[in-house]
Amino acid sequence: MARRVDYYFRETLSGLRRNGLVAFAAVSTMFISLFLLGGAQLIGRQIGLVIDQQTERVEVAVYLDDGISQADSDRILAKLNAMPEVDHVRYESKQQAYERFQALFANQPDLVNNVSANALPASYRVKLADPSKFRVIYAQIFGQPGVEQVVDERAVLDRLFAVSRVLRWGAYIATAVMLISSIALIANTVRMAVFARRKEIGIMRLVGATNWFIRIPFLIEGLVEGLVGAALAIAALAVLRRVFFNSIHQTIAFLPVVRTQDLLALVPLLLVVSVVVALMASALAMRRFLEV
Amino acid sequence: MIKCEHVAKVYKDSVTALQDVNLEINKGEFVFIVGPSGSGKSTFIRLLLKEEEPTAGDIFVAGKNIRKLTRWKVPELRRNIGTVFQDFKLLPNRTVFQNVAFALEVIGKPKHVVDQRVPEILELVGLGDKLNNFPDELSGGEQQRVSVARAFVNRPLILLADEPTGNLDPATSVEIMKLLDRINRIGTTVIMATHDNAIVDAMRRRVIELDSGKVVRDQSRGVYGYGT
Repeated sequence: MARRVDYYFRETLSGLRRNGLVAFAAVSTMFISLFLLGGAQLIGRQIGLVIDQQTERVEVAVYLDDGISQADSDRILAKLNAMPEVDHVRYESKQQAYERFQALFANQPDLVNNVSANALPASYRVKLADPSKFRVIYAQIFGQPGVEQVVDERAVLDRLFAVSRVLRWGAYIATAVMLISSIALIANTVRMAVFARRKEIGIMRLVGATNWFIRIPFLIEGLVEGLVGAALAIAALAVLRRVFFNSIHQTIAFLPVVRTQDLLALVPLLLVVSVVVALMASALAMRRFLEV
Repeated sequence: MIKCEHVAKVYKDSVTALQDVNLEINKGEFVFIVGPSGSGKSTFIRLLLKEEEPTAGDIFVAGKNIRKLTRWKVPELRRNIGTVFQDFKLLPNRTVFQNVAFALEVIGKPKHVVDQRVPEILELVGLGDKLNNFPDELSGGEQQRVSVARAFVNRPLILLADEPTGNLDPATSVEIMKLLDRINRIGTTVIMATHDNAIVDAMRRRVIELDSGKVVRDQSRGVYGYGT
């Protein structure tokens, strides 16, 4: 057994050495496709975190006129509370709005200093039982005395959702294209390895080596290329997470960001994809060139 | 050991390589297959190795109908048949020892078996002092002896030789024939396809003559007789 492992190892190594350039191309495309796939997943996760955090808080903001009377204000609150679509309502004073603003942009003191506490309106923050029922609220509240504007804050997030969907699908399509080219490239390195060793293969068949014994070194070669690509992609994603997402965190402190756990959760996916792609490529190459 | 019943081989372009071949070769026999080029000798050898399938008929090797052999059983069949070719088929980047060891390694024999058997067999073929030479450092006759060693190192029941002396001068050919004769005397069935009438005439063994894919003569202790 030890001898067999030793044989496979030597054959794989010499195969990779022989087709250095093509092996490099195969590893690179595998790397790029898995990096795109993992990057799309991480960005999707990031946007998901932001959306979760935001929708948790509020769906509708009812901005009030600065000069609103206490009576009008109370009436609007009562009306909101009476509506079955409303889960709960919270009042945010001008001062509270200003404090939230300060916290939001704590990293940009210029912006904070240029906005006075008076510039921001007071509002009712409304959480809906069913977030899609914004129209009902809007129809009943907008135009009431003292109401300046009724804003569906979720609409902003919907746009974020839409952008993230487009980004992700774009990344998935690019991933698919890259994966197909890495199948072609890995298949090509395996085919070249088979061709370089056709004499050995002929003798192996003649002396009665089993098909699997003949094939395994080529399978391993494809597999190694796939796994090296996957390892590089995982390393690059770790760097991306540190540099890019941490910089988001430093700019906008209140935003939740993807953590190392989110990256680790992607590792099995990336490994499985690389192994499946590499085995498909090797099998493809051998089916055409290693017929017994 | 080998039995052919109504074996025929017709290639796609309707070239008939063999037709209605019936013969039986017993264990320990030494058989020459003779005939002009294109008479079906090589096809016959490929059929025995199951590199090709007969168009009709059955071939039995060591009691088994090889037409019914599944694909994954083919390696087992080939382990029982050693093969030697006109062009030696040695690996140029491996030494004599490694070339012979290769045949054992790839069928999964452990290292201690390889280390014991390879020098033994190379001693038997008279190359005990050339273990570490590369094929291009050897004469044609020596290369063919390496190839015989490789064919025989796994102690097959049958040794197939396709024109083994085709590339060798007469004196060297005689050396190879002596070697095959010795292997035959240990009990191995040897089947040799050849053009070489001098060798056939000298050996006086069974001769099967093919012409246009048909057995036209099967004679024990025969001579080449072709063209006379």
